[in-house]
Amino acid sequence: MSDPHASILASLDSLAGSYAARFESAQTEQTLRDENAKVLGKKGELTAILKEMGKVPAEARKSIGERVNTLKGEVEKAFEARLKAILRACREAELNAPPFDLTLPGRPPSRRGHPHPISIVRDEIVGIFESMGFAVFDGPEIDTPANNFDKLGFPPDHPATDMHDTFYTKAGHVLRTHTSNIQVRAMSTMKPPFAFIAPGACYRVDSDITHSPMFHQIEAFMVAEHVTLAHLKGVLAEFAERFYGTGTPIRLRPSFFPFTEPSAEVDVGCVFCKRADGTRAGCAVCKQSGWLEILGSGMIDPVVFTQCGIDPEKWSGFALGMGLERQAMLRYGVPEIRFLFENDPRFLAQF
Amino acid sequence: MKASYSWLKQLVPQIADSRALGDRFTSAGVEVEGAHEFGKGIETCVLAWVVSVRPHPTKSGLRLVTVDPGGEVVCGAPNVPEPGGVVVLAPLGTYLPAKNMTIGRRDIGGVVSEGMLCSEAELGLSDDSSGILVLPNGFAEPGTRLVDAIPETRDTILEIGLTANRPDCLGHIGLAREAAALMGLAWKRPAPEVPVRTIAQKTADAVKITIEAKDRCAHYAGSLVDGVTVGPSPLGVRYRLSALGVRSISNAVDVTNVVMLEYAHPLHAFDLDKVRGGVIVVRLARLGEKLVTLDGVERTLVADDLVIADGEGPIALAGVMGGASTEISASTKRVLLECATFDPRSVRRTARRQGLHSESSHRFERGIDHGDTRECILHASAMTARLCGGSVASEIAWAQGDEAKPVTVTLRDSACERVLGVAVPVAESTAILERLGLEKTSGTTFTVPPHRPDITREIDLVEEIVRVRGMETVGARLPAVHPTRPVGGREALLRRVRQTAVSLGLSEALTFGFTSKKMLEALKLPGSVELANPLTEELTVMRTSLLPGLFEAISRARRHGESDVAMFTTGVVFMKGADLPEERPMLAVAIAGARPSYLTKPEPVDVWDASGLAVQLVSRLTGLGCELVVGESHVAYLHPRGLASLLVDKRQVVGHMGPVHPDVIDALDLGGELMIVELDLDALARLGQRTTRYSPIPRFPASARDVALLIKEGVPAGLVLTAIREAAGPLAEDVRIFDRFTGSPVPAGHASLAFRVVYRSADRTLTDAEIDQSHAKVVAEVAARFNAVQRA
Repeated sequence: MSDPHASILASLDSLAGSYAARFESAQTEQTLRDENAKVLGKKGELTAILKEMGKVPAEARKSIGERVNTLKGEVEKAFEARLKAILRACREAELNAPPFDLTLPGRPPSRRGHPHPISIVRDEIVGIFESMGFAVFDGPEIDTPANNFDKLGFPPDHPATDMHDTFYTKAGHVLRTHTSNIQVRAMSTMKPPFAFIAPGACYRVDSDITHSPMFHQIEAFMVAEHVTLAHLKGVLAEFAERFYGTGTPIRLRPSFFPFTEPSAEVDVGCVFCKRADGTRAGCAVCKQSGWLEILGSGMIDPVVFTQCGIDPEKWSGFALGMGLERQAMLRYGVPEIRFLFENDPRFLAQF
Repeated sequence: MKASYSWLKQLVPQIADSRALGDRFTSAGVEVEGAHEFGKGIETCVLAWVVSVRPHPTKSGLRLVTVDPGGEVVCGAPNVPEPGGVVVLAPLGTYLPAKNMTIGRRDIGGVVSEGMLCSEAELGLSDDSSGILVLPNGFAEPGTRLVDAIPETRDTILEIGLTANRPDCLGHIGLAREAAALMGLAWKRPAPEVPVRTIAQKTADAVKITIEAKDRCAHYAGSLVDGVTVGPSPLGVRYRLSALGVRSISNAVDVTNVVMLEYAHPLHAFDLDKVRGGVIVVRLARLGEKLVTLDGVERTLVADDLVIADGEGPIALAGVMGGASTEISASTKRVLLECATFDPRSVRRTARRQGLHSESSHRFERGIDHGDTRECILHASAMTARLCGGSVASEIAWAQGDEAKPVTVTLRDSACERVLGVAVPVAESTAILERLGLEKTSGTTFTVPPHRPDITREIDLVEEIVRVRGMETVGARLPAVHPTRPVGGREALLRRVRQTAVSLGLSEALTFGFTSKKMLEALKLPGSVELANPLTEELTVMRTSLLPGLFEAISRARRHGESDVAMFTTGVVFMKGADLPEERPMLAVAIAGARPSYLTKPEPVDVWDASGLAVQLVSRLTGLGCELVVGESHVAYLHPRGLASLLVDKRQVVGHMGPVHPDVIDALDLGGELMIVELDLDALARLGQRTTRYSPIPRFPASARDVALLIKEGVPAGLVLTAIREAAGPLAEDVRIFDRFTGSPVPAGHASLAFRVVYRSADRTLTDAEIDQSHAKVVAEVAARFNAVQRA
């Protein structure tokens, strides 16, 4: 039997000489940890060596103990260093692996819903007028001929009604031909001053490339004391500025509607051929004119006030109305009105 | 309305060029929508005299015509005149836009043609291509340009979109007056033409005119032109009419059209020899009376129709169209011209009843100048004699009805400022009104001329003033808007509904308010409002559900191969009401096809997609809990197995959901399963929107415990879940089902349901032992209640 002291020291030396290479040969975190456990673990080699300690004389134990502690420290240090190196290598490998295939389609967060283009412009226009102090007045799509025509000053048997090819119900009501029935309803039931905006569906017996039998209008009107054409122009200019963009000019052309006088068609500077300096080049959309016709407007005709029981000498007001289809078609470049009503998913998904 | 620029320039010599005129008209409300050049490109065409004609050496049907100037040209026309005849030559190099061709040196069967002899169609003067244009011998010197020989061949035509209130601009005199007023130019109404020949006979000697319906006819003038020869009009007249879109008929008829285009006052020409009994009576028709109009249609009249009758019956629909029996023909010798003022409303009713919109009715409906009748008929009579030969009777016949009184309107000095927001000096407003033909009769009162039936009130004068001054003379000013409350509140609700639906992955469809009876019947839905004049035979009723529109959208999408659909629509449905129909706002959702998937096999949407959507929609819109109630309602068009109504806050049903009934899918050919959700938005709105209340964020940790139960199939999972929740008491923060499966190893007739219960206390950390004990109690209780076995 050899000297246990010497034997332990020899074993320790052997261990000290071998662990580094073993650690170095470990390529993964797991093999390194396994190797470390083989050296330092409860059932590891160091523990096995120290089982012999009992045979060592007491005076020698201390030096062995110091030797063991030093060795343990060295092993642990080597383990940490190697572990770090392996982790780094793994990270490098991960970083240097082939890139993700980003040509695969992105995963949609969920199914995406699309508002209808008419609703987009409707909400926007309502919002603009609400911010100017107008409130929404809802009214029915089926109304009396009185509210749709007579009280608006449509003369009986007059060609002015030609513009309105009207659907009648068997009960003698009309599918409103415009949102102007709301004016009548507001003025017949409320006391001025007020300012309302009325969006909604309207109907005319008309169906071709530019007409749909159901369509949408939005109408704003204001009745108060001393309201003038200048105020109408102010509101129109503000609307153009906000809806069509800063610096969009407006132009009023005299026109005729039975329920306003004076009446005007309103053009805005073409938004498609606008140059940086604010001038217009002229384009196919505006037929080279530089202007887009967008709405009809005017001062509420005294006859409408009278029919609705409001004194036209005391009160005055303006009304303006536009087709939402035209606004949406212009904004989004939709060439035919029917696309707005076919509800093709491929169309709806564009908005 | 087409307007001839040359004609206008003739009437107002200092008028601006056509472009500037168009801009000025448009800026004043007489909208010029476009302009085109009549006879464009024919400036190089010349009149040539035929020198000789011989057959083409090789091509039969063609002839070689030597013309001066020009030389030899090849011509295929059947009507090449004898030598000395005058034709129109398009020399080499001429571009003819009407046929989009340039005349080049061409070899035709071995002969080189030095130009082309033109037809009216090739020149763009009319649609006549039956032969070349042949002018009367000696019409002009050879080599004279066509445009010099007949100035009417070249013109700029303005397309004017007139509003219904401006009948005065339906004639060139009115347009000229308007142009002069707008441009501040001198304006003098042209005097009527003086007849070349007259006879002593008075019109009244030849025909006796009376008005029975005096309230429908203010006056009626007749004028006799005797000894006419009816034939084609002179070329100048033909081309003027052609340029203005009117077909030339004959000299006698063309006169009435030219004068109408000049004065905006329609006239009619009768063959007086065909007027029976030598009388003209303006009267109401008798019910059932028949009249064959000039278009060859036999019309049955009603007692509201105003007619011109002779001794035996109606010979014209007053102001609308003449009758065939008294039509001008080649044999006509005596022409009776009619110029009258008929009641606009009467003319309109007849025209609409008969579906007969004529140039005449168009003008009468809008109101003609009732002050120019005499002038008009004198002018037309003289022109008839000039174009057709014959002599004009020495006096016109005149019958008087109820004449309109002259209109006077007062313009207060403050009126302009009050309406426009800008003061207009009285001198300026007066000058504008006078230029338009109004006459100042006293300090502030104006007499309105009869050509402006649209002016009856002060506001009409203000409109004229701002129209002529220009809308740009009014500055823009933002008003102080009186704060106003919304009325109805539907728009805000609809906006929120649309936004919520979109946020849940639905796309918005726009659907029509009307639908077909067939569709409603297929859905077993009631009809309510029927249309009296539907657009098509199909779309005759107003919808009582939004589904028809959605179904159409889905069918169409599927036909286009788009089978995955998630759509919604909002709008009102029309139910029977006390007087007006009741309009109820609704939301309808339809989902069909595959659920969105990512690089995995797509799976079809099912009823749980619909229920998830329905509950989300309702709870997001109300802030209240929504539960499905099964078996309490019957909706004919939904699948009986999957139909549920939506109960909010345990008190209000707001709609229903489920798969569409397979019979309905078949009946409407919808092309496959689909799920729908319908919400009554008024019911939803009545619930209001619960305001979210803050609840404290838990400070102590939660612990989850799972339980899987083997349970008899048919026991609703929701019932088990509720039982677990009740058994677990207040410590259970959340209970949810996370797995359900059937099939091996689950015994037949059973299902495995797995639940996760999350335990948490608000005021301490629960110990594992405490939770385990509580959970075991829950499991035991629920298992016993449902006769279930806990799975390991």
